[in-house]
Order: sequence, then C-alpha cells, then structure tokens
Amino acid sequence: MRLLTFFLLIGFISQIAVAEVDINRDACIQCHVEIDDDLDNPVMTNYENDIHYEKGLSCSDCHGGNPEGWDDEDAAMYDNDSFIEDMSKMDEVNMCGKCHADPTYMRQYAASVKTDQLAQYWTSQHGIKLQEGIDNVASCTSCHNVHGIFPVNDPRSTVYDLNIPETCSKCHSDADIMKDSGYPTDQFDDFKISVHGIALLENQDIGSPACNDCHGNHGASPPDVGHISDICGTCHVNNKELFQSSHLKDAFIKEGIAQCEGCHNNHAVEKTTDEYLNWENNSVCIVCHENDDKGSKAVIMADSFYEIIMNLKSGIHMADSLLNDAEQKGMEVSDYDYNLEEAHRTLIQTRTAIHSFNLESVIEVATPGMKAIEASLTGANKVLNDWIFRRKGLFVFSLIISFVALILYIKIRDMEKPD
Amino acid sequence: MSLYSWVNDRIDLDSGIKFATKKQVPVFYGTVWYYLGGVSLFLFALQVVTGILLLLYYQPGATTAFESVRFIVSKVEFGWLIREVHAWSANLFILFIFLHMFTVFFAKAYRKPRELTWYSGFLLLALSLFFGFSGYLLPWNELAFFATKVGTDIAGAVPVVGDFLLRLLRAGDEVNSATLSRFYGIHVAILPAIFTVLLGIHLAFVQMQGMSVPPELENIDPSKRKTMAFFPNFALRDLFVWLIVLNVIALLAVIFPWELGHKADALAAAPAGIRPEWYFMFMFQTLKLIPAHVWFIEGELFGVLLFAVGGMIWFFVPLFDKSANEGKRSRLWKWFGIGIIVYMIILTVWGYLV
Repeated sequence: MRLLTFFLLIGFISQIAVAEVDINRDACIQCHVEIDDDLDNPVMTNYENDIHYEKGLSCSDCHGGNPEGWDDEDAAMYDNDSFIEDMSKMDEVNMCGKCHADPTYMRQYAASVKTDQLAQYWTSQHGIKLQEGIDNVASCTSCHNVHGIFPVNDPRSTVYDLNIPETCSKCHSDADIMKDSGYPTDQFDDFKISVHGIALLENQDIGSPACNDCHGNHGASPPDVGHISDICGTCHVNNKELFQSSHLKDAFIKEGIAQCEGCHNNHAVEKTTDEYLNWENNSVCIVCHENDDKGSKAVIMADSFYEIIMNLKSGIHMADSLLNDAEQKGMEVSDYDYNLEEAHRTLIQTRTAIHSFNLESVIEVATPGMKAIEASLTGANKVLNDWIFRRKGLFVFSLIISFVALILYIKIRDMEKPD
Repeated sequence: MSLYSWVNDRIDLDSGIKFATKKQVPVFYGTVWYYLGGVSLFLFALQVVTGILLLLYYQPGATTAFESVRFIVSKVEFGWLIREVHAWSANLFILFIFLHMFTVFFAKAYRKPRELTWYSGFLLLALSLFFGFSGYLLPWNELAFFATKVGTDIAGAVPVVGDFLLRLLRAGDEVNSATLSRFYGIHVAILPAIFTVLLGIHLAFVQMQGMSVPPELENIDPSKRKTMAFFPNFALRDLFVWLIVLNVIALLAVIFPWELGHKADALAAAPAGIRPEWYFMFMFQTLKLIPAHVWFIEGELFGVLLFAVGGMIWFFVPLFDKSANEGKRSRLWKWFGIGIIVYMIILTVWGYLV
C-alpha cells in the first residue's frame, strides 16, 4: 500500500512537472520525457526552467538531429547528419562557444552580453589541459550544469555567487579527480574558515569574494607570485597600491614570496589583527625575519608600527570611555564625538598605511588621528569639569536659596508672633 | 526724596499696597492649596524669562533648529541651564496647573459666582497643554518629530474637521520644516499672547471675587472666620514656596538634564518607545487600549470623542453640579473627580510600564 502511494505520488509530481514542459514543442521532447534517465529526460533535468528552453531553444540546437521526426527515432536522430550522438568535452566546449562566442547571435538576447567566455576558457588551466588532450578537466557543463542551466544571478544557478565555492569544490576537493594535477584539495576547507568564506557562506554576503573573484571564472588560473597583489587589490585597492610602491614588492618577488599571501595566507585568509605586528607575540614579519635581532630595521619598523597602532587604539578607548561617562551624566558631547570618529577613521587608514612599510608615511597618516584623540580627550575632560562645576554651582545656589528661605521663614514667624 | 516717594508721587503705590494689605486670605485646613495658583504663575513667569533667553539663539528650521539647540546647550554660557530650567519649569507648570485645578474642583470653588474663573482656568490649562505640545517639537529631535507625527495624527481623527485640523497643525500633509515654523510661531507668539490676556482675566476674576472657601466654611459668620492679610503675610509665604520650587528646579536641571537625543530624520524608521509627554500619556494609553472598532465607530475616533465628551463635562461642571451652588457637597461629583484622578494616574503609569 505504501509502495502504491509512493508511486502515485511520484506519478502525480511528474504530471505536474510535465505540465510545465511543452511536450509537443518538438519530437525530441515528446519521446525523451518517456526515458527514465537523468540526462536524457528533459523533465528530470529541470529542463523546463533552463534559460535556453525559456529563450526558445530546444534539444536539436545543441545536439543536432531533426526536431520534426515525430514518432520516428531514426528520422529524428540516426538518419540525420547533424545529430551528435556522443559529445566529447572538446565538442561540448565548441558547441557552447558556437553561440556564446558569437556577438551578433548573442545580442538578440541581451544588448550587453559577454561573448569572450570561449576565448578566456582557452587561456585557463582547464582549456589549456583540454587542448593538450587531457579530458579530466572542467568544461562548460562541469560548472554550469548539463540541462537546467540558470542565469548566473539566479540563486538556483550552480555559478551563483553563494554556490560557486561548492561548484568548484566538486572537482577541486576530490582527490581522485585532482590526483594528476599537482594541486592540493584543501582549498574549499580553508576557504570555509577564512574571513571571505565566513562572510560569503555563513553571512550570505554576496559582496564577498568567491573562487572566481580571485582566479577568474572562464579564464580560471592560479595567479603567479608577482601578481597576487593585483588580485587582492581588486577590492583592497589602497593596500595594493601602497604595497606595490613599497621596497618590499621587489624583495618579495626576489624571494618568491607570494605578496599578500605571504602574510595573510591565501584560501584561509583570516581576520587580521594588530598582533600581526607584535614581535613579542609571533608577528607575521618573523616568518621571513626570524633571524633578525632586536636592533634590526625590520624589528624597529614593526615595533614602531605596533606602537603607533596601540597608541591610537588606547587613545580612542580612553576618549571613548570619558565621553561615554560624560554622556551618561547628561552632558552634550557630540562635538567631541566627531573628533573620535575622525580618530577611528585614522586608525583604519593607519592600518592600511602599514602596507607602505615606510615609517614616515605611517606617522604622517596617524598624526591627524592623534590630534583628534587629543581634542576628544581635552573636550571630554572639559565637559566632565563642567559637570563638576554644575554640581558645585547647584550646591552654592541651593545653599543661598535655602538661606534666603530660612530668613523669610524667620521673618514670617516673627511677624505673626502673637504680641 | 526716596525712590519709593518719587514713584509713589506719580503712580500712587500706596493705594495698591493698601489694597493688598486689606485683601484677606482665609486661613483653614486647605489654605496650603492657595499656593498652587501662585506657584503656577511663578512657573509661567520662569517660562517667559527662559523662553525669551532661548529665543536669542534658537533658529527655527529643519536644518538649524537641532543645531541651534545643541549650540545653546554646549557653547552658550549657561545656555544649558536656561534650556533645562525652561524644560523642567514647563513640566512642573503643567503639573501645578493640574493640581490647582483638582484642588479647585474638590473645594467646589467653581460654584456661583466663580464659574467664569473656572472656565478661564480650564482654557488656560488647555492652552498650557498646547504650549507643551508645540514646544516639544522645537528641538527637532527624533523623539519630538515622531511624537508630533502621532499627536497630529490623533488630531486628524476628529470628526468632520479632522483633515483640516491636521493640515492646519502640520502646515501641510506631513510633519516637516513648515510644521516646525508653524509650531514655533504658535509657541512663541500666538499662545503667549492669548495666554497672557486670558491669565489677566483669570487673575482679575480672583481679585474681584476674592478667594473661595469650601461650602462648609462659607456658612460660618465672616467675622469669626480666621484670615491673614494678603500682604505681607500671604505674599511672603508665596515667596517662600517659590524659593523652594526654584531650588527644586535647579536640582532637577543639574541632576536630571533633558537629553537632546538625535536629530530628526523623516526618512529614518521611528525609534522604539515613541511616547508623548507625560501629561498626554493617559490619553495616548487609552487610545492604544481601544479596539480597532467600537460598535460601528473607528477606535481612534471613538477615543477622541470620548475625550471630547469628558472634556466638555469637566468644562461645564459648574452648570451640572447644582448642589455646589446650594452650598452642599455632591458625593457623585466627588467620586467623579476621584475617578478621573485614579484613571489618569493608572493609565499614565501603565503607559510608561508597557
């Protein structure tokens, strides 16, 4: 009975789904809805929602054959020269590229649609390997799905921002697939715990980078050590510019250190802390400068940076707590709050300025912040002194008024004393 | 020639003093209630003085009002004190007017021939509430902005003239800079002018008719009634109470300053806990408790009608309370008054608790 119910239910659901695909659209669909196979059955592959199906394309546009071969399997497929029975990865890439690399054709669907995917693909590691005859690489359908392809901005798409890491990891976390590539398979695990991964996957912040934002999508390729800052600099513009104009840029290339990655890691980028500069607490600088003594330039610079940042932080903390105290006492402190905001901004700018690895530049950036903190502290102290003055004033005023009231009371009593 | 003699020669101060000395104030268990009117007058005077001082720096307008108040409290010497005294004395002013009104009610002082004094007093209370409502918006902070929105919305629920009233108050469909200008004009020019005239009439009535005594004392032979001279005895006592009130205001101004808050932003979401001033809280809470529909009437409209009818009954109490005119105390009106007070206190506390 349960089995019967199950089949009835499946049958019912299938009928609903079939109703959404026009089975009379062409001969291919009419026959293939009968086939019990994931890939061959257009219903089971979510074909009714496929962007190509929605735009009016059908099976024969990719697979060839005769869509008018109603009830005649041979006429529809095997007797038709255009029919592609087995499609290799190379065939598939070229087949997709036939339309997607043709600006004239694609323009009918969207005025600004990109058509460089195929060209980019051939420059990617995937495309290069495929051309070398290695079939164990990603092709179009590996990422975009076979049937049931959604636009990239559709959350159901395998290449929607939030889904990209999972899509890439299907191959890149699979040791069997990756065994001959020489690449590790822990990128996705690292990414998940990174500051970017947490923002993207846990906080669902689509502004955070996924794999393709750093590696490219159709032209996916690992960046070389000299260009990592260009990639990170897409978002971290100031950090990139400061680093690239610093003396460390060439030093890093010379030593084969992968720029940003050298201090911040790559896939497992963690949230930076000011302790990165603390020589006493495993500063990241020690990775390269492990043999430097206390008086070395690197140690002095890191210590100075750390001290500047700590001074700004402790100053902000002190001013903030004094202003809070004054505000709790009902005093108006908004003018000094502006100073504090300025100091906060400067702290962030100073942390960025560290990437210049130039002490004078960092001091120059931090100085307005220190002045703003000083103004905040002076203001907070003035306001707190005002508060004390008000209390004292109240005491004196109350004393005077009470004294006058007392005199008045005595006067009234004397005046009304019975003779 | 002393200054007094110089002035006296010209405006006859002596006859004024003679009048004040001759004026007698009844002395009995309720004499203390007579101070409430005087305290209200003193607080009004404080309002006028501090209000004028605030006017020297205040700049109405959506882009200047909040900034000018912040300037007053942070940069102007003792500006904070002027604003605090203005704000605290405004609240105490309304509190004392309420107390004054209820003591007059329970002393049956509204009975013949003092009906007009009661009517003018009631109108002064209504004007004071409008003073508070219009003044609340002037700092143009978040709380004031949204409270004014809610308050004017309620005015919009008045039948027939609601829409007109709402647009009249807001100077348009929404609370904006035009509303602020209108409230400013009402608060510093229109209301003070009407209030001063009405207050003059109210005080003139008191002077003409003397101070009322409860019905049970009225039957005592006037020659056996205990009294004191208004001047200097009662006037000095008044002064004594005013000094205490002034001391309390100073204490409140320094220990419990009014927070300026954040500048009003029409596009921001209303902050949590939007409440009217405490003296409107019982009405606000009542409106919140009334269901969306009462019979066929919309809830808000029902509430407004309820308060309109209640206000009318209170205003015309000298006409309804026949026994007071006969020198008797009506138990019905006594319990009506007590009921109103209990209702106002419970609903106000409730409003602050939820």
